[in-house]
Amino acid sequence: MDLSAFVTQSIGALSTASSLFIVAAGLTLVFGALRLINIAHGSFYMYGALAATTVVGWFPDSGFWIALIVGPLVALVMGVGVEMGVLRRLYGREHLTQLLATFALLLIFADLALRFWGKNVRSINPPKVVNGNFGLVGARVPAYDMVIIAAAIVVGGGLWLLLTHTTLGWKIRAVVDDPEVLVCSGVNIRMLYTGVFGLGALLAGLAGVVIAPQQAVGPGMDAQIIVAAFIVAVIGGLGSITGAAIGSLIIGIAETLGANLAPSWASTFIYLLMIVVLAVRPWGLLGTPER
Amino acid sequence: MSTYGHLDTDAHDVDPPGPDTRSARPAPASRTVLLRRATAPVALTAVMFLLAFTLGSTTLVTMQEVLAFAVFATATNLLLGQAGLVSFGQAVFFGIGSYTVALGWLHWQLPFWATFVLAPFVGALVAIPIGLVALRARKLYFALSTLAFSELAYQLAESRYNFTKGANGVFGPFVPTALTQPRTGYLFLLAVTVVSLLLLWKVNHSPFGLVLRAIRENRERVQALGVNVYLHQVAAFVISGAFCALAGAMFVIYSQSGYPELLDWTTSGWPVFMAVIGGMGTFLGPALGALIYQFGHDQLVLYFSDWQLVLGAVLLVIVMFWPDGLMGALARLGGVIRRWWKGRR
Amino acid sequence: MSDETAHDILLSARGLVRDFGPFRAVDGVDLDVRSGTIHSVIGPNGAGKTTLFRLLTGILRPTAGSLEFAGEQLAGRPTHVVARRGIVQAFQTTSIFPRLTAHESVCAALVSKHRRSRDLITWFHRGLAGEASQVLETVGLSDVADEQARALSHGDQRALEVALALAMSPRLLLLDEPTAGMSPFESHKMVQLVQRLAKEEQLTVILSEHDMDTVFGISDRVSVMHQGRVLADGPAPEVRRNADVMAIYLGSEA
Repeated sequence: MDLSAFVTQSIGALSTASSLFIVAAGLTLVFGALRLINIAHGSFYMYGALAATTVVGWFPDSGFWIALIVGPLVALVMGVGVEMGVLRRLYGREHLTQLLATFALLLIFADLALRFWGKNVRSINPPKVVNGNFGLVGARVPAYDMVIIAAAIVVGGGLWLLLTHTTLGWKIRAVVDDPEVLVCSGVNIRMLYTGVFGLGALLAGLAGVVIAPQQAVGPGMDAQIIVAAFIVAVIGGLGSITGAAIGSLIIGIAETLGANLAPSWASTFIYLLMIVVLAVRPWGLLGTPER
Repeated sequence: MSTYGHLDTDAHDVDPPGPDTRSARPAPASRTVLLRRATAPVALTAVMFLLAFTLGSTTLVTMQEVLAFAVFATATNLLLGQAGLVSFGQAVFFGIGSYTVALGWLHWQLPFWATFVLAPFVGALVAIPIGLVALRARKLYFALSTLAFSELAYQLAESRYNFTKGANGVFGPFVPTALTQPRTGYLFLLAVTVVSLLLLWKVNHSPFGLVLRAIRENRERVQALGVNVYLHQVAAFVISGAFCALAGAMFVIYSQSGYPELLDWTTSGWPVFMAVIGGMGTFLGPALGALIYQFGHDQLVLYFSDWQLVLGAVLLVIVMFWPDGLMGALARLGGVIRRWWKGRR
Repeated sequence: MSDETAHDILLSARGLVRDFGPFRAVDGVDLDVRSGTIHSVIGPNGAGKTTLFRLLTGILRPTAGSLEFAGEQLAGRPTHVVARRGIVQAFQTTSIFPRLTAHESVCAALVSKHRRSRDLITWFHRGLAGEASQVLETVGLSDVADEQARALSHGDQRALEVALALAMSPRLLLLDEPTAGMSPFESHKMVQLVQRLAKEEQLTVILSEHDMDTVFGISDRVSVMHQGRVLADGPAPEVRRNADVMAIYLGSEA
């Protein structure tokens, strides 16, 4: 492999990793604070992408930039609704209950999406500024890949700042260890849960918008991304944002390598990887064993 | 007095002291107690048998599906309800059961009966390594790693075209003609279902089953009692896998094919839904769930396109407000009626 | 109550040490427990009683020292081996099986004792139902045998824990603060139960307890722990007169 091919492949891997990271970061953030796995996270992602296609349909020129606001907002509203309407009643129940409730929501949202947007697969173009390729050490690199990577860096940096440098972040980290202490110190824990869940949903919606110009948008993308996000989050360790970053990098690289080296095995490769990681470290690379 | 022992439950003129405990401890089983406990299952089997001669062929074909799913859901519930292990990977074994029959015919021209008998053993064999790996993880990590195994199996079946015929699946005349008749097919599946459920029920009530429930309730305490929790869970996983594979082989009589979606993680969700709808705390709940799920699905698809919407809504309501499912609700209803009846007298 | 010479030494610990990092929780404990006696270990919070119990049951490995039980060296052996030799602890109530009935819970323990947990064929009650009922009767839970454990009162849950321990046919029963959190009536019942176990079932009991009236009311011997060491050890009345003990309790507890 020469240098230009290497660069193209690396950017491709990074871009895959970046979009995975944005989805998985939301998933793992919610797990970290609420100790629940949200299968409907995939729905938020799909609705973000679908909303983006609608907005771009209305405003063909500036639509994408508007969608970048609208998509996450749609997901945020859904997330807050889900948390207040359903999940709030299920905290403290078994994992199975929460898994099934969010699975049920995924099914409901999937059919509703069919009603609103139909069965057909949709697609949008990247905004003009970043449409096309640019040259990098002799390689042609899709400019839009850089947008995705930038988005991931912004999200990762933002989350890091939020969690380590703000009181809100301190509360989010503390809520796992000792919710009661937080309540005693006057924190409105219900608001905190709703807020964290909404933030997770917002990230899923954002990821949906960002991925929309690169992928076919339509039914089935919800179940597909949720499996990928699980794998990333589990490899990295549930609840760890850094873990999600490492996990998405591993999957991004593994997918790209797999597609090049053994195309017919590429689809099985990431599952094998997750199984190997779990066999060695049953709680993921950066996770903590469950009590 | 002991000669009249069998009368005593029906002959209470005076209210018994203390609350009426529903799950009376099975006393050292006397013959009459055993007979009484066998009544309901025998009656149920008889009714199911008579259905073969009263139902139309379309309904009988649906019933074939129901029976396969009843075994699938009951076997999954050995993990879910008994052992407290949430597996999203039982479709691996269901699919393997189907593929054992289909691929046995395709590659080695094995007769149906041989592959049908072989299926649960193949399922158990595959369940050993998967269980050994997946059960190292706990709770959510276990659920998600079984999900990964399900996806892995799906992708393998889809991408190994030369072996599995890929996404198209394997179709062919591998089911004996006798079993393709709706009635004989149904009767055969009914017999297999009755035997399977009896075996699973035995496991449920064995010392092993009791230890599984104890592990579900308090893993560390059972460990302190000197039981190897991990190996018991692996054993439960293998037993469940064997019966899930048998269910997959049963399903072939209905579907006459094997295809990758049978292995998918969303397929793994089906038996979990059925168990939850019917009630995973009871033995027959999952089978009841299979019946409701399948007929609900078939009816709704006829009149209404949004099957997933309805399923999701039903699941959500059950999970939120009826955690012990329909059987639990029925038991409570029965309790209310009994109390009302007693009050009237 | 007990004539010292009439009892063999069942358990004998010599120089037991357990470190947690730089912290020495148990610091050279010697302990002799005579067969058929009730032996109390007392001391302020943090004295090392719980750690000592965990060393005796094999949950923790000792950093140093020896532990001889009925003539066999048990230091460093895993819990389930220790349990099979006959040292069993009744845990706190968080350790029951919430959704099993009292009877089923005891059956589960019996299944384990009889090594029948691999049995997939027979009914779990077979040969166990009677034994389980007997154990429940011993601890006074016959009336609630078919209640789910989570529905029992706190006192009954503690009694169920004792029943689970008894099901393992222990020779030495460890009770960590058996009356903690109990109403006076419940404590009284528990004390009676412990005395009955020692007298009628010939059981040797080690218990830790905060309530001094309980301790000196039922114990044959008492060991006083402080900062990981045994400060005083002897027949109950003797220890009660010991000035050091009074000092510790007046200083930190009373």
